Amino acid sequence: MRKLLAAAVLLGVVSLAAYPMVAQNSYYIHLVETIMIYAVLLFGLDIVVGYTGQVSLGHAGLFGIGSYVAGALLFKLGVPFLLAVSASIAITACFGAVLALPALRVTGPYLAMVTLAFGTIIQILINEMTFLTEGPLGIKVPKPTMLGHKLTEMEYYYVVLVFMLLSLVVVDRIVRSHLGRAFEALRDSPVACDCMGVSVYRYKVYAFVVSAGMAGLAGALYTYSEEYISPNTYNFELTVLFLLAVIMGGRKTRSGALVGATVVVLLPSLLADLQLFRILAVATAAVATISAIYLGATKRKSPRQLATPVVGTIGMAVFSFQLESITDWRLTIFGFMTLFIVYYLQDGIVGWLRKALGRVAPGALHARRAAAAAGDSEHVWTPPRRIASGDLLDVRAILMQFGGLKALDRVDLRVTAGTIHGLIGPNGSGKSTMMNVLTGIYTPTAGEVMFDGRRISGGSPADIARSGIARTFQNVQLFGEMTALENVLVGLHHTFRSNIAEVMLHAPRHRREESAARLRAASLLDFVGLQAFQNEEARNLPYGKQRLLEIARALALDPSLILLDEPAAGLTAPDIKELIEIIRKIKEHGMTVILIEHHMDVVMSISDTVTVLDFGQKIASGKPSEIQNDPRVVEAYLGGSGADAIAPAPA
Amino acid sequence: MEILLQLVFSGVALGMIYAVIAFGYQLTFATSGTLNFGQGEALMLGAMVGLSLAGKVLGGPYLNYWLMIPLVMVFGLLQGALVEFVGVRPAIRIKSEFGWIMSTIALAIIFKNVAENIWGKDDLKFPSPVSEAPLKFLGANVLPMEIIIVVGALALMAAVEIFNRKSIYGKAVVATSNDRDAAGLMGINTRQVITFSYALSSMTAAFAGVLIAPVTLTGATMGSVLGLKAFAVAIIGGLNSGIGIIVGGLILGIAETTTGFYISTGYKDVPGLVLLLLVLAVKPAGLFGKTAIKKV
Repeated sequence: MRKLLAAAVLLGVVSLAAYPMVAQNSYYIHLVETIMIYAVLLFGLDIVVGYTGQVSLGHAGLFGIGSYVAGALLFKLGVPFLLAVSASIAITACFGAVLALPALRVTGPYLAMVTLAFGTIIQILINEMTFLTEGPLGIKVPKPTMLGHKLTEMEYYYVVLVFMLLSLVVVDRIVRSHLGRAFEALRDSPVACDCMGVSVYRYKVYAFVVSAGMAGLAGALYTYSEEYISPNTYNFELTVLFLLAVIMGGRKTRSGALVGATVVVLLPSLLADLQLFRILAVATAAVATISAIYLGATKRKSPRQLATPVVGTIGMAVFSFQLESITDWRLTIFGFMTLFIVYYLQDGIVGWLRKALGRVAPGALHARRAAAAAGDSEHVWTPPRRIASGDLLDVRAILMQFGGLKALDRVDLRVTAGTIHGLIGPNGSGKSTMMNVLTGIYTPTAGEVMFDGRRISGGSPADIARSGIARTFQNVQLFGEMTALENVLVGLHHTFRSNIAEVMLHAPRHRREESAARLRAASLLDFVGLQAFQNEEARNLPYGKQRLLEIARALALDPSLILLDEPAAGLTAPDIKELIEIIRKIKEHGMTVILIEHHMDVVMSISDTVTVLDFGQKIASGKPSEIQNDPRVVEAYLGGSGADAIAPAPA
Repeated sequence: MEILLQLVFSGVALGMIYAVIAFGYQLTFATSGTLNFGQGEALMLGAMVGLSLAGKVLGGPYLNYWLMIPLVMVFGLLQGALVEFVGVRPAIRIKSEFGWIMSTIALAIIFKNVAENIWGKDDLKFPSPVSEAPLKFLGANVLPMEIIIVVGALALMAAVEIFNRKSIYGKAVVATSNDRDAAGLMGINTRQVITFSYALSSMTAAFAGVLIAPVTLTGATMGSVLGLKAFAVAIIGGLNSGIGIIVGGLILGIAETTTGFYISTGYKDVPGLVLLLLVLAVKPAGLFGKTAIKKV
């Protein structure tokens, strides 16, 4: 598979390189040039849309900034080509940062709207700032001069080809590195990502800035390619077109970006010719009808599900014969295409082909991933951080209030280093709230949390995680679309020191860190008994294995304190035995454990100390045997009035 | 001073329009966590349908301005339900944020293009139902229509609020916005509630369209910028605050008319959008919004 892919890439490069010699026609050369320029932008946009899962409607604006930086530098100052391109990348990336820093503090539809607003501002500014941009008149730019020679259309084609291939390699390296894993992780589970020491906010901004830089590069190349730029190019429809291209081609693939770019560049020509459009509409309707009949006959889809696309495409075909002029209805057709793609081609053309290939030759697609490291028992544990003695964690009079409800009411908690500390209590007693306060997900209303002698309350979850507190979640929070190995690698994010430049260049340090991390991750999976599932996507694992994977991921953080939130919930009896063994080993290696659990046998058998919470208050703390006989604990669990509870509980 | 006062007056009228559109965003965001990116187009369609009924565009006038309003509101209800049915419902089912954003945008593009083909690309004049002679107020000119805009906008928002608080259907809407799953378990048809919220939302937008049309030009492109700035208002005020959108609308409306006069009309859209970025940087939940604590 790997060889096949390499061959396909080589074939693609050779045919792109040979294309101008064959085409000979500058119109067609320019067309492919535009496709490659769009592809550069789409590689970047895919980082934001595909990997981090954010919707940006501002990329036409960023593209415009890139174009105009190059255009204005050349027009006003006569700056040479490569310098202008570099300036475009840098300045557009800065704009990306200015946009991302406020906009990415919020999630959901906000980002879409804010980026849309940004795109609108940019278009207005380009129009109004005539002293820089010449306003609606536009700027004329000649083809660049290199080494005293003015490039021809064909020579410039090769310049664009080189830049496109460079971006392809760079983006591919970024998304396969620890940075790319951070991007994917923050989309699948932001809260788990933060708790692995990978700041969601920071990496979202990072992704956006990289993406903006790519848009800037594409913009600069576009300026020289068109030789004339004007504000109207960078409008809202262009932004929608870019997003459509990413989805249509297929998220999280470079080939998808290329396919998407090809379709959207050819789209205007397709929609300019009525005859051609009619043929295409009829063909689409035919394909939709035939696949609907097939899917209906094999009972894969209900008739109701199938009706909409069939009626829609047939309607479109009929509509195409009613039309007299296509130019007036261009946008309507474009809108219907968007709807169709969003609902019926969600994985894009490449994703759809992969699925089809997966059905024909299962396993072929995972071949590339299967080149995984073999783990061993030596690499499970790293030399422990300085093992603290005495109290590792000291929670002082923590108060956590939600409106009028005191979920934690001035609770004190001391956890001695190197012990297993059980935290129990009936449902709603505040155990999980305590976890969330300790890991920084909630900021306590009052009180403070001291960890290893330092105050951590008020810090961000990512900072707290990096200082050495790892956790698992009551409701499993794995990175669903990533493999088990990649999940653990996200936990190992803190072991990476290499920066984005080293990632782009595949510098020795980065390669060293990557292979070390892979070995370590594989070893950790061995430790929890998941070696067979290395390349399985986390969402496909059985529930019990998912819980174990969470523990492996938490261990990857090399924590001095690990918080296990109901690790035994939903496990079978043999699994629970295994879990107890794992927790014991964690303790043996010098880590401190806080264990929330409802299985009393588990808690009582392995805890050194147990603390009991009830209605947000600490009602008891001590050795397991003492706790079992504490009347207040018995009352909290079994009920009864204060007087009854004084009577000793039956052992 | 008179000039400034006059700018404030027209800013207030404009701001109330933004507030009504932003109110529409709040309605759908509360029930389903989604927004109609074609809210501006809903406004435009309302204005265009109103113009066709009360103006001379398509062989009219068939009705006078006041009788036309209820019909336009019914049209808005249907249009909103259509948007929800085609664009939002499938996306909610597959839990795809990208899905509803893209499909409401696609529908907006379609509506705009269809409107261009029916009514043409040029801006049209909407006949004013009241005298266009300005009234004098504190030395500044106020158009009677501007007063109607402010009163109408406030009345509509109040009516929807009262409906939500007092009627049993409104209770269903409130319940759905608090907890969709629990509301569903209590026998509320939450899908219908969401459809209904979209219908209401487009109805308010269509109403805003016929309110603003007489004081501005009416055309297929009038909606997009209004919709965008209304979103800025919703964020500045807070997506869950009723007072917030009114204050946000006033701030933006006045900022816009004054910028247009003192700097340049080309820049008049800029302050609102910059303000939007600033508010997000300082207080992401909006000036009046409550920060929600997400439970894990």
